[in-house]
Amino acid sequence: MWHDRPLKDGYDVVIIGGGAHGLACAHYLAKEHGVTDVAVLDKSYIGSGGSGRNTAIVRSNYLTPEGVRFYDESVKLYEQLAAELEFNVMFSQRGHLTLAHTDGAVRTMRRRAEVNRLQGVDSRLVFPDELAHICPQLDLSEHPRYPIMAALYHPPGGIIRHDAVVWGFANHADRRGVHIHQQTEVTGVDVRDGKVRGVETSRGYVAAETVLNATAGWGSTIAAMAGLELPIATAPLQACVTEPLKPFLDVVVVSGSLHVYVSQSSRGELVMGASVDPFGSYSMNSSLDFVEGLAGHVLELFPFLSKVRILRQWAGLCEMPPDFSPLMGFTPVEGFLLDVGWGTYGFKASPICGKTMAELIATNTTPDLIYPFRLSRFAEFDLVGEKGAASVGH
Amino acid sequence: MSDPTPTRLPERPGEIIDRTRQVSFTFNGEIYPAHPGDTIASALSAAGVRTFSRSFKYHRPRGLLCGAGHCPNCLVQVGDEPNVRSCQRAVEQDMDVNPQNAWPSLDQDVMSLAGLGDRFMPVGFYYKTFMKPSQLWPHYEQALRNAAGLGVVDQGTPWGAYDKQYLHGDVAVIGGGPSGISAALEAAEAGANVLLFDNGPQLGGHLRWRSDSDDTSRKDLLEKVQSARIEVYTDTDVLGWYQDNWLAAVRGDRLFKARAKAIVFATGTIEVPTLFDNNDLPGILLGSAVQRLLNLYGVAPGRRVVVVTANRHGWDLAADLLAAGVELAAIVDERRTRDHPASVDLAAAGVPIYNGSALTGARGRKAVSAAVISEIDDSGNPIGPGRVLSCDTIALSTGWEPALDLLYTAGGKSVYQENRAEMSVDPVPDGLYVAGSANGADLLQARVEDGRVAGRLAAAHLELTEPPPQQELDKLALELSKEERRTSDRISAPDGKKRFVCFCEDVTDVDVDTAIAEGYDSVELLKRYSTISMGPCQGKMCSVNALRLCSRIKGQSVQETGRTTSRPPTTPVYLGVLAGQNMEPVQVSSIHDWHLDRGASMMVAGLWLRPEHYGDATAEVNNVRNRVGLIDVSPLGKFQLTGPGAPDLLERLYINQWRNLRKGRVRYGVMCNDEGVVLDDGVCARVDDDTWYLSTTSTGAGTAFQWIQWWLQSGWGGNVHLTDMTEIYSAFNLAGPHSREVLRKLTKRDLGNKAFPYMRIRRTRVAGVSCRVWRIGFTGELSYEIHVPSSAGLHVWEALMEAGGEFGIAPFGVEAQRVLRLEKGHLIVGQDTDAMSDPLGADMAWAVKLEKPDFLGKRSLERISVDGPHQRLVGFEMTRKHIVPEEGLQIVKPQENGKLNIIGWISSSRFSPTLKKSIGLCWLPSDIGSEPGATFTIYQDGRLEEARVHHGPFFDPGGERLKS
Repeated sequence: MWHDRPLKDGYDVVIIGGGAHGLACAHYLAKEHGVTDVAVLDKSYIGSGGSGRNTAIVRSNYLTPEGVRFYDESVKLYEQLAAELEFNVMFSQRGHLTLAHTDGAVRTMRRRAEVNRLQGVDSRLVFPDELAHICPQLDLSEHPRYPIMAALYHPPGGIIRHDAVVWGFANHADRRGVHIHQQTEVTGVDVRDGKVRGVETSRGYVAAETVLNATAGWGSTIAAMAGLELPIATAPLQACVTEPLKPFLDVVVVSGSLHVYVSQSSRGELVMGASVDPFGSYSMNSSLDFVEGLAGHVLELFPFLSKVRILRQWAGLCEMPPDFSPLMGFTPVEGFLLDVGWGTYGFKASPICGKTMAELIATNTTPDLIYPFRLSRFAEFDLVGEKGAASVGH
Repeated sequence: MSDPTPTRLPERPGEIIDRTRQVSFTFNGEIYPAHPGDTIASALSAAGVRTFSRSFKYHRPRGLLCGAGHCPNCLVQVGDEPNVRSCQRAVEQDMDVNPQNAWPSLDQDVMSLAGLGDRFMPVGFYYKTFMKPSQLWPHYEQALRNAAGLGVVDQGTPWGAYDKQYLHGDVAVIGGGPSGISAALEAAEAGANVLLFDNGPQLGGHLRWRSDSDDTSRKDLLEKVQSARIEVYTDTDVLGWYQDNWLAAVRGDRLFKARAKAIVFATGTIEVPTLFDNNDLPGILLGSAVQRLLNLYGVAPGRRVVVVTANRHGWDLAADLLAAGVELAAIVDERRTRDHPASVDLAAAGVPIYNGSALTGARGRKAVSAAVISEIDDSGNPIGPGRVLSCDTIALSTGWEPALDLLYTAGGKSVYQENRAEMSVDPVPDGLYVAGSANGADLLQARVEDGRVAGRLAAAHLELTEPPPQQELDKLALELSKEERRTSDRISAPDGKKRFVCFCEDVTDVDVDTAIAEGYDSVELLKRYSTISMGPCQGKMCSVNALRLCSRIKGQSVQETGRTTSRPPTTPVYLGVLAGQNMEPVQVSSIHDWHLDRGASMMVAGLWLRPEHYGDATAEVNNVRNRVGLIDVSPLGKFQLTGPGAPDLLERLYINQWRNLRKGRVRYGVMCNDEGVVLDDGVCARVDDDTWYLSTTSTGAGTAFQWIQWWLQSGWGGNVHLTDMTEIYSAFNLAGPHSREVLRKLTKRDLGNKAFPYMRIRRTRVAGVSCRVWRIGFTGELSYEIHVPSSAGLHVWEALMEAGGEFGIAPFGVEAQRVLRLEKGHLIVGQDTDAMSDPLGADMAWAVKLEKPDFLGKRSLERISVDGPHQRLVGFEMTRKHIVPEEGLQIVKPQENGKLNIIGWISSSRFSPTLKKSIGLCWLPSDIGSEPGATFTIYQDGRLEEARVHHGPFFDPGGERLKS
């Protein structure tokens, strides 16, 4: 798959962060632009950060035209990814439901559905009669505390094996000559005269005139090493999984009002998550509060799961920019590039981020698709408000 | 009464079944007998049942293995409950037990018969197959999906009755074996309040079922516990350690949440299997499982047993089996010495003893029929051809792994001790202590002593006593260092048969080898790729074997190999237990029942339920416009700020100016965040020099309170106090041309326009109750908002309704209010604004006071004001007057190529009964939005509808009715 190689004194491009984003970028740099003198550095093992801690949901039913266009490209790449990487990432497009329990939520879902439809994304508002067919397990009566009024149904949405995405990209990048250095922590970014010159690592200095920060969760701490202050706040996001059960739930179910999302993996486990923890922290400790609250909300949707057991819980970090959209591209430090600010929506964007960032690096021009996500949008007050579609991650 | 089953033995000392009574249950459709006290597994074993379920991936037959609730092999479905550990669940009369993952039957499983396992499903096989042709993937996927999972969820299962209880203690001791009991006694003796948790039905740990001590040591310890100040929780699994010594534990349907100042982890050891050919066959049991069967339930594990061991425990077991009259086919011990006291009796009884030998494989199709053993050299490799021993049971007693998962999650660092082939923790975090067999102590006396010292250290941590003298600690350390090794790390060479490292996921040693060769060579990657330790046992059975294997393949030490992160819970736990009782809070106003009595249709608004309408929203609109209406607006956020610092705080929180607001006056205010995005709006009144009373939106009330609190606590809290009055006051809006006449009947205050003009607040009695009355209006009509103490809410409401009778008063709901406000062109924050809306674009530029020294959002708003907002919120009317475009529809600009570019969206729309036409609010690019009368296009259900921009209120633009 990939190999341990000696750490060179310098590379054309250093990518900090061996997650799905960083590795995808390395893959597309090598494959589409012939840039192979690339090192991907990770302080732990590849995929150890958000890429291996998310709940593996892929969808494109976002709220803003910019977001929809971007994530739709990502879904299309995901659809072809197994063939491209010769590695089955098990993209299971089983459909994605975002439940609306209030008339305000119905309004937001309709808005999303309309934006999606106009961009050619399969997404529509469905009401209880149709929901009963799509997800018969839901209690569609008036009895629940928050009766289900409607849902945004997004048939191409689904789940994927997140580790496989990481490994597939790593394998292909490695084959084309990219160096993947695990257990190599970046401890400093060398900036002189407004230009990046290299990085300090736990294994020594590595020179590079292009350095990509793809370390969502720690994006602002790495940027600070280059002297940049980012408008990002990091907070833990937790998730958990149950014991394996015979498949009974086909679609991915998300409820904003109940702050919960549930899907059943190909192994039969229920994979569940909730909102970002309500305080900033870099801690990845699990909390009891989280599983207690989540369990209550899951049972609110599916009371019959009361005797299903939680097997494991974990936490990851997510970093929230004020408009719930990422920070991608150039910075005031020449050669120091960003692919951070990925909040709760980073994994689903991995392939398109890799592709567009690779294009940006190779051509030194920002692709149109990610222009809306540039860092300077804050200074220009040209925000991309995705709060309404960032699922329950806020 | 006579025992009906052949493997039930005569009564054993210490057994926990009630032989005087019998119950029956069904397994796989057949009826089986049991005694009260039996577990499902013990009863099935007594009846000679070997196979309980089929395995996860290869559907291989699996049966009782660990007997301690750790492994996945005895999982069964009990009624509607999936994945029940049958060795832990007590049998109940008429219990309906079924195997899992077996189709069409336990005996003849198709997946297994197809032999899929052997050839087609190596590690990572999913990742490498089913890719081409890609259009077939959904079909492959469906097939894979059908094979996934273990137990079945019954969709009729009710939520059930669960609850939670808080516990508090000075010292929590986890594990009620000899070391845990000793620790608890010692800490209690020093004056600590002690919580003692054990997952067994009685305290005693291994003393309950192991015969290395006489029963008196257990009785002695238990008696002491009873007389000490110790809260004992048996049948209680401690699930997790969380930040700040916050323990989660479960007993039955109850979740305990315990906070302790110090914790002793006397969590014992987990017996682990080893790797040999066919090591998953039913009939292969861990030694401790056999001892539990024998000594707790009086059940013989089989008719002819081979005991395989590498420590004294196997010999204890053999002695027990001999005493119980079970035939022993052989004792196989890796060690060359034979110094166990029982060896003499065993040899005398003619039991073949093979020292310096090891098990290399098991034979059998559906269950064990023979053990294959071989002599081994000093490195543990087999010498010679081996020997086949016919048997129906193999008892494995070759190794123990300290149960340290809880301590790892609490921050303990793992250290692998090569000489003992066991993990240990070093350093142990401050205030946490590990004791007993979890700490490497094996002999009873050492366990007791180690527990005692840990209990003393815990009490000393709380400064209840002095720590034990150093020489005592040294002596104990010396004693522990002399403990005999109890764990073998031998891995025999494979012989072409499956050898399972991980039973949960059916991962073999070959799979581990392959995965590492493919590059998944760190334990975390190996875990994720092979799924080792990701199943129901969470690594309890497999982690240490996987590490040994991995370290051997990579040629590095186990310590260098590292271990994967332990995560809570340490024992899988019901969602129901974590959730507790079904308690979703509901907020209702003081006149909720009145609304229901009048047939109100209620809607969810945040935590609140409020009337949407009382049957006919249009009639309600007309009634407000023509006569008078009354709406319950109690969910509005209501906050009081007191103190001289209040104006400063308000100046910073809101974009508006406040300092110049005079007493008794009211102003509309808007709050933004740092990005200049509108957060909330409402009216704010200066009630007194130092008292301010403000309202926020209903759904935003909670967020607004937190927002203000956040700033108060972040340094803006000088000289000001915030009180949430949201539930203290009920609030009603009396609106309509007759509202003054109605209110006049209930108050002595002069309501004339001069004495009580628009945008003022007055304290006055209404129907005898002291209220705050605002003269404000969202509906555009003359209106009074009455804030009344909630206890008198219903009284005032009913008085208003009665007083309004002669004027045609009627209640109105949220829907009518939405129409009324839309006719006035008023926005609703959260509906007409989103996470991008700034006040300049949202038609509130007049409120933005950029000249103020500072306020939240100022910097952003300054930036926006340079070029003006990109988008504007404006009113619109439809060209086809009856068409009401739904809220959320998009405004588009058709391109020459036929494509529709999104340029805006509809945030509010209604048919106005007053104006007899469709009206609404929408976001448009500033150039279009700034031009009244400009036309634009709405995309609706594949059609394009034309609309045009309207500025200002649609109704009563001069506001004469409001101020009349």
